[in-house]
Amino acid sequence: MQAKSNYTDKLKNYLRVDTTIESDVVREIRTHLEDKRHELIESGLSEKQATATATRLMGPPQLVARQIYEVYSQGSWLQAIFAALPHLLVAAFFALQWWQNTLWLLGILLGVVGTVLYGWFHGKPAWLFPWLGYCLIPVIAVGILLIYLPGGWTWLAVSAYVPLALLIIFSVTKQITRKDWLFASLMLLPIPIMLGWLLALWLLALERDNGFLSGEQLYEFAPLIAFSFAVLALTVATFIRVRQRWAKAGVLLTLEILVLVVMALSGKISINPSGWLALVLLAVILLLSPALLERKIRQASQKPLNLSRKSVR
Amino acid sequence: MSYERELLKGSTESLLLSLINRQPTYGYKIIKELEKRSKGYFQFKEGTLYPALHRLEKAGLIQGKWQRLPSGQERRYYYMTPKGQKALAERLVVWQDFSTAVALIVQPTIG
Repeated sequence: MQAKSNYTDKLKNYLRVDTTIESDVVREIRTHLEDKRHELIESGLSEKQATATATRLMGPPQLVARQIYEVYSQGSWLQAIFAALPHLLVAAFFALQWWQNTLWLLGILLGVVGTVLYGWFHGKPAWLFPWLGYCLIPVIAVGILLIYLPGGWTWLAVSAYVPLALLIIFSVTKQITRKDWLFASLMLLPIPIMLGWLLALWLLALERDNGFLSGEQLYEFAPLIAFSFAVLALTVATFIRVRQRWAKAGVLLTLEILVLVVMALSGKISINPSGWLALVLLAVILLLSPALLERKIRQASQKPLNLSRKSVR
Repeated sequence: MSYERELLKGSTESLLLSLINRQPTYGYKIIKELEKRSKGYFQFKEGTLYPALHRLEKAGLIQGKWQRLPSGQERRYYYMTPKGQKALAERLVVWQDFSTAVALIVQPTIG
């Protein structure tokens, strides 16, 4: 019985599908193992041997979980477009120079908040996470605005704010990672690109207007900014459509780095090579660290389970 | 991959649809039925059955429903949908044509 329970626990750990599908699959495989066990006991095996044989015949739980995951991991084209929509809106915002119209800006902000709230309370589907990433922008934007505080206040405010901002981002990431670390990576995807553009605009402003951003600087970068977010939209749509986990992770990492390389090679941005390298490293860390975080969370959640099993024995 | 496995991989879904079309059934029973009806030829790997069933369900060809047996145990029974019946009919026509064509080539010519 212990082996059967271990098997379904492992299966549950690797499944990463919606909770309703997860409970159906686990329950279904548990009943199958039970039927097989009874059959084997009737054929003369001991209870222990029967349980071990039934789980062995089912195959490794990782493999079964991966195959079930690949059945449900592919979103429809409609879901892919909806997931890519926030990046497409940002691309359109710069391509069509909507920043001149505050109504557009307000509309997009309200749209993002409304969509996130709807998705959050409706089962957190895959399309939610690119939208959720944009809810973290105010956290980063406030930190950047602190640069403009007078005199020594900047460093004081920044040193107090940065740990707070990191804590907010970390706690949201941790919560999403509990569902699936790939969704956390999907949420964090635009951060390196945004930081790259904010740094580029700030450096340009320092060169020209004593560190203050102007509409003129935005005009200069707008086509390239629009292009970078259009590629992010393509990345997200591909992520939703591919089935395999390795392909999903590969798409996020490859296209994100490609955008940073295109930005660096454009020759318009005065970030030095070590700055670009730091941004690429940040992208790799942000996209892959949720996988490590997930492992830590699962190890931590399995410890009390193992302890309680030992005490039962 | 062996030739036999390749052939089975291509016909798994049709075999499952055919069995479910006869009468609604559940995973464990499907494996037993396949083995019995094929006189032991089809020995399905148990772990690959459920992904295949869920693939068919996601495609809307079958529908799974939990049912309580007289013994009190619960099993997830799979039912054929109209879309599944249509897909099976189409696949059977293709299979008939294919096997007839293969037989015409493989079998020795008479006369």
